[in-house]
Amino acid sequence: MESFLNALVSGLISGSLYAAMALGLTIIYGISRIFNFGHGVIALIGAYIAWIFVQNSKIADTSLLLGILVAIVFLFLLGFLLYRYTMNPLMKKPNWEISTVLFMLGLGILLENVILQIFGPRVKSIPVFKEGNIRIGMVQINWHEIIIIFIVILAIFLLNLFFKHTRSGQAMRAVAQSIPGAKVVGIDIEKIFGYTFGLAFVVTGISGILLGTKYYMNPHIGWEWMVKGFVIVCFGGLGSTNGAIYAALILGVVEALATLFLSAMWVWPIWFAIFMIVLLIRPQGILGGRV
Amino acid sequence: MLKVDSINGYYADLHVIKNLSLRIDQGEVVALFGPNGHGKSTLLKILCGLQHPKSGTILFNGENITAYPSHRIVELGIAYIPEARDLFGDMTVMENLNLGAYNKRARHSIPQNLEFVFEIFPRLFERKNQLCSTLSGGESRMVAVARGLMSEPSLLMVDEPSIGLSPSLRSSVFEALAKINREKGITLLIVEQEIRDALSMANRIYMIKKGEILFEKPSAEVDINEIEKAYF
Amino acid sequence: MKKIISNWQASFVAAIVIFLAAYPLLGPSSYLKHLFILFFIWSVVAAYWNLLNGYVGINSLGNIGFLAIGGYTSGILALRFGLSPLITIPIGGVVTGLLVTLFLGFPALRLSGIYIALLTLIFADSLPSILTQTRDITGGGMGLHEIPPFFPGMEKVHTYYICFVFFLIAMLILYKVIHSKTGLAFVAMRDSENLANTLGINRYQERLKVFAISSFMTGIAGGFYVHSLGDISPTTLSIEPFLLALAMIELGGIGTFFGPILGAGVIVFGNEFLRLAGTLRLTLLGALICGVILFYPGGIMQLVEELGTRIKVLFNRKKVTE
Repeated sequence: MESFLNALVSGLISGSLYAAMALGLTIIYGISRIFNFGHGVIALIGAYIAWIFVQNSKIADTSLLLGILVAIVFLFLLGFLLYRYTMNPLMKKPNWEISTVLFMLGLGILLENVILQIFGPRVKSIPVFKEGNIRIGMVQINWHEIIIIFIVILAIFLLNLFFKHTRSGQAMRAVAQSIPGAKVVGIDIEKIFGYTFGLAFVVTGISGILLGTKYYMNPHIGWEWMVKGFVIVCFGGLGSTNGAIYAALILGVVEALATLFLSAMWVWPIWFAIFMIVLLIRPQGILGGRV
Repeated sequence: MLKVDSINGYYADLHVIKNLSLRIDQGEVVALFGPNGHGKSTLLKILCGLQHPKSGTILFNGENITAYPSHRIVELGIAYIPEARDLFGDMTVMENLNLGAYNKRARHSIPQNLEFVFEIFPRLFERKNQLCSTLSGGESRMVAVARGLMSEPSLLMVDEPSIGLSPSLRSSVFEALAKINREKGITLLIVEQEIRDALSMANRIYMIKKGEILFEKPSAEVDINEIEKAYF
Repeated sequence: MKKIISNWQASFVAAIVIFLAAYPLLGPSSYLKHLFILFFIWSVVAAYWNLLNGYVGINSLGNIGFLAIGGYTSGILALRFGLSPLITIPIGGVVTGLLVTLFLGFPALRLSGIYIALLTLIFADSLPSILTQTRDITGGGMGLHEIPPFFPGMEKVHTYYICFVFFLIAMLILYKVIHSKTGLAFVAMRDSENLANTLGINRYQERLKVFAISSFMTGIAGGFYVHSLGDISPTTLSIEPFLLALAMIELGGIGTFFGPILGAGVIVFGNEFLRLAGTLRLTLLGALICGVILFYPGGIMQLVEELGTRIKVLFNRKKVTE
């Protein structure tokens, strides 16, 4: 019982990390219909920027905060400019779907190898926010994980606020629901797509930082994160943010229970099997809604 | 107000607007008649910047807007209400109306415009917190018109306001349009198949056939047989 | 004029084929012959990948996986059971075609393009871990070594000609597929947005057929790959071959018949120079793919066509002045 409960909790923790990871993918897809095949490396860029700051200072807490801020600004600009100067011209051509997929893949590999050149192949990790454990009943949980969950919940809350109550957020939802409608009411959809990429890259970068504190990172780990993100967004329904969150939590728990009752070796085959079953039975995902 | 000078437009590869010129004056109600597939909708799309003409110029209050994207044209005060409505189905009526006032000019007058919109469409006030995907055909038509009004236009272009509506709903939509023109002084350009209804409120009409203007007349001088003949 | 240009093209192709047929007689080094063998095989892989991505609109990212399934099947049968590659290569092709069509084609082709891309990528991504799980048969991370050649006691020249003939046949089949009723329908649909599904073909069924052809031929290419080179390992499934094949398609010109062949030529021989760049190689390849997609989406074929028109204009002018 105790190990079961602990597995459940640790599944929920990694599930919330996966949710943060998948949000960026599903936001971009839901609004612009572009699928970001360079998603993993964007998360890595966030994580490595934070790592630089933590690495070169003695006061770890404030420098981590500074690193996160720098990563946010950098990734927003990267997303906005990337949309504007690459995706936007590609979107205007009839074969945009395949060209954006191949472009982002190519860019992902390019950036992965740039990271490899700069930081080398060695495994790195970002120090935890706060050491120490607490015990709640039978469940053992450490402070760092509590903070991670808190950050993820806060991020989801802020995103919801943004989508509901700001003009840009409403415009993003409008574009997701009807592009002609959005144009008719005077929304500059290219600008909104640019903001969408910026926002999604920021969310993705933060998820990369969180993953970098909980697990480890190297220049190639982005692909593994991304593939998990793929399965989550398909499971939750492409373009649905709520779906992605539920799917991530479910898959996180499934992963933890599989590790407990079978072995860690079974984790990947199970992810793949879930993916296949979802596509065969319910390709629109568990919710099948939109942003 | 609006001056269109010999524009040519395409729908995919088809040449659907041929060397077309027209003008609309301040405060007028202009009706555009013509058979389906003869370029009326494409013309409206070109005028509001959803599509761009291959040649020719469009002047709005003296400003050359031919190459402007739609969001700049909305900003200048042209609103377009598409036949397909294109509402945001997963949003409430209120959210749709607020998005109608997305452009900078209209943001400041949201309360007044909401008041006016609810005055002419009291039904929308009752449904303001309902999702648009749950509305009836007539109600969504009203939301589309109301959303267009929220952008505080000086020229409102409506594509087939009455399509798919029952006769009583149809006349209430036309009454609302007349009121918009009368009370707010908004210039109207209406594409319509219900010729009698549209004639009764229009000052002037254009007859379009095969992408060209067949004739242009003050509506008082129009013989309805003449129009019906032009359809065939 | 148009006829002359296409005659030029035809004679150009004929000249290249004659050159390739006669090349070993010039006594090139074994290394150069090896590069040409690679060129033949990769041309087939890239061309049949392009059939999916460039002609039919199936956004496959898994064709290297098809190559690996065909290669492993044929290699294992020849190595472990002593069967002749003449039998094992077709078996490898059939196994690939069946597996891929059943497990990827059936579920994915009903869905929109992005799902196909996701599913095929994850499929190719999961193959290495399957290989490690089945170490006893597949050799795991070490892969298969000393896979027997096509015939006992073969020399490089023989391999060269076998692969050359395979290359010619594969291209002929591809040409037939593209110019079949189905192929032309897909090309028409690709080139005109309004034409979708008005051509009276069952799109799902026909796409499934093309998918089966592409995976079968790529599986066959996998067989030629292992029996020519003698080994295969999970590195075949790593990011580099994937990137190389994509670069061939994009650089040569996606959606054209000759593009991937030209691209394969440039990449196979160019990659040898790229080795000088060491660890920067993948960075450069990524940049190459992005650059071509963004700035010159027609690739080499676009360049060829532009040159063609220019020559045509030159010719016309000459005629007028005469």
